[in-house]
Amino acid sequence: MTELVQTLIFGILIGGVYALMATGLTLTFGVMKIVNMAQGAFLIVSTYLCYALWQHFGLDPILAAFLVMVPMAALGLVVYKLVIERLERIDPGLTIVATFALALIAEAFLALIWGPDQKTTTPAYFNQAIHLGPLVIPRAQFYGCLLAIVITVVLQVAIKRTWLGRAITAASENPEGARLIGVEPARVGAWIFAIATGSTAFGGAALSFLYQFTPDTQDFWLGLALSVVIVGGLGSVPGAFAAGLLLGLAEALTTTYVSVRWATAVPTLLILVVLTIRPQGLFTRTTRQDAGS
Amino acid sequence: MSDDRYPPGTPLRTRSVAHRRRGRGSSRAIAIAATTAIALAGCAATGTSGGPGSGPLNIGMSLPLTGSAADVAKSGYQGYKLWAAQVNAAGGLLGRNVHLDVLDNGFDPNQTGTDYTRLISQNKDDLLLGTFSSLLNAPASAIAARQQMLYIEPSGGAASLFTRGFTNLFFAQPGTTESLPDLFLEWFGSLPADQRPKTAAYLTQDDPSASPAIAIFKTRLQALGVTLVYDQTYDPSTSNFDSIAAGVAHARPDMVIQGAVSNDGAPFVRSLEKLDFSPKILFQTRAPADDTYPGAIGAKNTEGVFTAEAWSPKAAYPGNAAFVSAYTKMFGSPPDEDAANSYTAAQVLETAVKAVGRIDQKALADWLHSHSVGTIVGPLKWDATGVPVGTAMLAQWQQGTLQVVAPKSAATSSTVVYPKPGWSTR
Repeated sequence: MTELVQTLIFGILIGGVYALMATGLTLTFGVMKIVNMAQGAFLIVSTYLCYALWQHFGLDPILAAFLVMVPMAALGLVVYKLVIERLERIDPGLTIVATFALALIAEAFLALIWGPDQKTTTPAYFNQAIHLGPLVIPRAQFYGCLLAIVITVVLQVAIKRTWLGRAITAASENPEGARLIGVEPARVGAWIFAIATGSTAFGGAALSFLYQFTPDTQDFWLGLALSVVIVGGLGSVPGAFAAGLLLGLAEALTTTYVSVRWATAVPTLLILVVLTIRPQGLFTRTTRQDAGS
Repeated sequence: MSDDRYPPGTPLRTRSVAHRRRGRGSSRAIAIAATTAIALAGCAATGTSGGPGSGPLNIGMSLPLTGSAADVAKSGYQGYKLWAAQVNAAGGLLGRNVHLDVLDNGFDPNQTGTDYTRLISQNKDDLLLGTFSSLLNAPASAIAARQQMLYIEPSGGAASLFTRGFTNLFFAQPGTTESLPDLFLEWFGSLPADQRPKTAAYLTQDDPSASPAIAIFKTRLQALGVTLVYDQTYDPSTSNFDSIAAGVAHARPDMVIQGAVSNDGAPFVRSLEKLDFSPKILFQTRAPADDTYPGAIGAKNTEGVFTAEAWSPKAAYPGNAAFVSAYTKMFGSPPDEDAANSYTAAQVLETAVKAVGRIDQKALADWLHSHSVGTIVGPLKWDATGVPVGTAMLAQWQQGTLQVVAPKSAATSSTVVYPKPGWSTR
């Protein structure tokens, strides 16, 4: 019984971190219908910025995330205005190619600045754990999961309760209708892209102390974030959080009760199952689409 | 890659023009060339080549200069280059300048096979030297055996490589993966029974160089009364060890043995650190010898971690200190194990060629089967299958340095840290 509870705790903590990594992607992919192949690169750029602040100023990565969020949001805004907005007018499919190219460029820049060696941060709580009788809760993962919960709640509240949030929802569900009530989808798109890119600061902070990273680590996290978004349902922030937990739990339970070898196949299997049973994802409802929209 | 037949800096275009000019020769020239080629092919088929003073001595090799093992290949290639430079500075081999004929296989086993076929059949290289990893050495050594060429490999210690009946294959390290646990088990057996760890967790990357060693650890430690409490094999693509470490921590073993091949060692330790679980003994097969290891897990946290090493920069074998010094001078940084392994393989080849006095593939193999060769990793001798009659050194991180703790002939530290201290905050 203790083993099961411990496994569930680990699954939830790891899943929370997975959800955190996927938050930005669920906004751009789900709300704007842009497959942002640079999301993993943005995440790693944030990770390196948090690493730099930790290395040079000893700043805790979680605190560093609040500073990193600003330039990352600005970067998102610039990328949207210079690349995404222009290409969407020509052919939305081109954004995939462009963001993929951006990811490669970012990777090359990071390698030039920091080299290809693995990096990591080790804040004071890195190798501490909370012991509850026979149960262990690693502080690092706990803080990562806590960050995921906070970011999910903040984004959800922002989407449901603010004018911008409602505008985002309107623009994503019916761009033409949104225009009629004074919401310009392109302007809203810029905001979403900035928020999505800015939110990578928190995923990057968690990544910096939870795992080792290199410039090409982006591939792994992009793949995992895509899995989370597909399972959770496009555009649903709570869906992404739930899907992250589901993936984490599935991975932990598989590792403990089936085999470590199967753990890396869990996300793929879960996607297959979800797409078969519920193609729109677990936490989104299908909505009526206007003809031609 | 490098081509010494043209002066340095010769443009590629010039080289291709030279090839085209050769192609425009008269029929008489073609006939002479064909006759020469047939004669050379005949020499190759019988395993003999020209004697002293007949042009450069071409030594073929295919290395993973690109691809996922490029970092290993870079230092390995540099080990070969240092050896060639030293041999040439000393007058060459059999009076001939040594030329390394290097192809890039991109860490692809199929390309490696193709490359060695080309080196033998098309480039007509006089001798071969091996590539890196068991994965690539498997096809390369098979082609060398088929063509009756001597094949000395710097790495590729998987036991399966030496069960194919080849008589021309030699492994230029002190021991294969099967001998990797020997010295650790010897030390373990020397501990008083009441101080020995009682339980062990085993974790293995699904790799031919890791799995056999861990299987031996399991069998022999069980024979010494150590109970298995966790045993898993993970995919080489595994990068997140949190769930695995959680399983290990839950089993609470006294010691953890990991068949870690490269970058899988550090993230596993970091996952154990996060859980605040530190075993009394941690043995990882290769990862702790990597340059990046102390930085990745924190220098203090390396204390007491065991590994096995084929070579140590500090080992007091003849020529080792000179190798470290020359390599550092030539390349600006100290050599790693891969550089040392390739240098050792070349040393073995050089010794055999000098002893036999001619390029005769069978005679060279026969000589190596019946003699011991002094190298920077100590004296090497082989059994009939090319397996070295020896064992890898037992090393342990002590105060930020990887020290050799056994065998005594190579030891750089007379103490062993046991039990391993807990994780420290860096």
